[in-house]
Amino acid sequence: MTQPMPTFDQARTDAEPLLSVRDLVVEYHTQRGLVRAADHVSFDLHRNEVFGLAGESGCGKSTVAHAITRILKPPAHIAGGQVLFDEVDVLKLNDDQLRDIRWRRISIVFQSAMNALSPVLTVGTQIADALQAHENGTAQMTRRQVLDRARELLDLVGIDPDRVNSYPHQLSGGMRQRVVIAIALALNPELIVMDEPTTALDVVVQKQIMDQIRELRNQFGFSILFISHDLSLMVEFSDRVGIMYAGELVEVAPSQAIFNDPQHPYTVRLMNSFPTLSGPRVELFGIPGSPPDLITPPPGCRFHPRCDVALAGRCQTERPGLQPIGARHMAACHLLDDKIVNKEDAS
Amino acid sequence: MIAAKPILEAQGLTKHFRTGGAVSQRVVKALQDASFQLYPGKVTALVGESGSGKSTTARLLARLYEPTAGQIIYAGRDTVEDKGRSKLLKYRSEVQMIFQDPFSSLNPVHSISYHLKRPLQIHRKAQGRQMTEKVHDLLHTVALTPPADYTPKYPHQLSGGQRQRVAIARALAVEPKVILADEPISMLDVSIRMGILNLMAKLRDEQNLAFLYVTHDLASARYFADETMVMYAGHIVESGGSEELTQDPQHPYTQLLLSAVPDPARGLRTQETEIAGEVPSLSEVGEGCPFAARCPHVMSRCREAMPPVTRLSETRWVRCYLFDEA
Repeated sequence: MTQPMPTFDQARTDAEPLLSVRDLVVEYHTQRGLVRAADHVSFDLHRNEVFGLAGESGCGKSTVAHAITRILKPPAHIAGGQVLFDEVDVLKLNDDQLRDIRWRRISIVFQSAMNALSPVLTVGTQIADALQAHENGTAQMTRRQVLDRARELLDLVGIDPDRVNSYPHQLSGGMRQRVVIAIALALNPELIVMDEPTTALDVVVQKQIMDQIRELRNQFGFSILFISHDLSLMVEFSDRVGIMYAGELVEVAPSQAIFNDPQHPYTVRLMNSFPTLSGPRVELFGIPGSPPDLITPPPGCRFHPRCDVALAGRCQTERPGLQPIGARHMAACHLLDDKIVNKEDAS
Repeated sequence: MIAAKPILEAQGLTKHFRTGGAVSQRVVKALQDASFQLYPGKVTALVGESGSGKSTTARLLARLYEPTAGQIIYAGRDTVEDKGRSKLLKYRSEVQMIFQDPFSSLNPVHSISYHLKRPLQIHRKAQGRQMTEKVHDLLHTVALTPPADYTPKYPHQLSGGQRQRVAIARALAVEPKVILADEPISMLDVSIRMGILNLMAKLRDEQNLAFLYVTHDLASARYFADETMVMYAGHIVESGGSEELTQDPQHPYTQLLLSAVPDPARGLRTQETEIAGEVPSLSEVGEGCPFAARCPHVMSRCREAMPPVTRLSETRWVRCYLFDEA
């Protein structure tokens, strides 16, 4: 069953992507050997779009997010590919050029707000620091103006502006994460990378924060690269979703298609791995086995040892690539060969 | 509907923790006046946000904490006064606990075989050659086969799901009647979770075990639990059949909680709900209903005293003045 695509999504893809990730390869040098945590990952993210990267722990979703923002630390290094942001390859920028883009055009919200904020500075000071470190020409902005802007930002994310003088420990977990979002918004970026922004929070607070982010996006029109292991949240919040498995992107589709009409055997089984609150109560099975050790990944399709429809031979030896299989729908699976459509039709 | 006798029952169970020093002593009211029953062959879920008191409840039932007040009735007898090693040992061979984190609940320096033999020795369930046989049986039960492949391994050689299976096997070693499972799947990857829940459902059916399933995940409670209780700030506020409760919540907090859960099956977007406020600090909870400050239907008496239990049906009750006829 194929869902009709919303037309505003269609229009969106016609424009040049804001972010285009091409064949990104990230490797980790570990004592046990080389781990390829992201292996030829390619996807586009459009203006005003929420693109989600989902997958289980160790699938490489955070690695991709960190590579895009160039905050990977050794032993990780980018071994290949391009990250085109507004047609400029972020991977080729020097530190000064990177500084120009970072925070002014791309900002980041990390998983743990507890660790992202300094415990010894007031939230106002921390917002002001972000403003002054990155905004060109803030030299002219007085301390007064900077603090006014900090109050404005707190107000935007639903915190009483008088909290500028509070320290992080005086705020609840949800409020701290709101402060982190305020800092990410400080310079009106075009893209915000959100790496598990609500994972440490309870579901009611998560809902408050996700509603707030959605509202801010409608207001300011930034794009979001959204990383989460929570598939329900992912499907609900994202416009399009990419599913990663063992370092590879195995399926990319509009989020409703990922949920209602998944094609890759891994996605199909993943969507049958979590219970929902509404709809019929059906027996769920999960996926037998565990994701592979990336030091010695299986040959062929990396999912084939856990796949109950894998073909003897081909799936075990030949690695499938991401192919267009329908309207804005791509998957990497040999069994979907007969569904491959012309690239032009798909985009 | 429920003809069987409860195997484990809490009556007015209360736990207060004292924190702070001599100057600013505070009392954290982690659990207040909780009464519920666990039945053989039934899973009862205890659902709530962090700090709601759900883990405290499980730990009280496991006798890891001493209750401040109330009774813990096992097979018809109050066990709160049972103290001392031998009495607690007996209780603990009947009531076992499974913890959230299979990485820290297993000892990294001991093999799987050691982990499973220890409870057999301590509770004198098997000896000598029987012991090895019993260990293999346990591994079979939790589908870690062939068992000989697993016995010599160490926890770090197993995946998270396999480790949690070992933790379940260890709990089963002493042939318990009740298992208290505290967030047993929340640390595991999505693709692994259902395997663990299905395994526990099998144990419920085949071994007639009673489960208390502590979770923050309402959808998994709907899937796995026969009955579900919802906790807020130390109080159980609503209880009923899981399907009934999740499809037709009555307490305003249950309604709020359910509306906040992302649910792609419900449609493209959840309705925007006005959710104000945050969970109160457990040391500041007053006399009234703890949800009063956030409740859209709040009345003056809500702030004065905790509402009594109102029975809506044989299996369903709620603590809220909206349902209190008196």
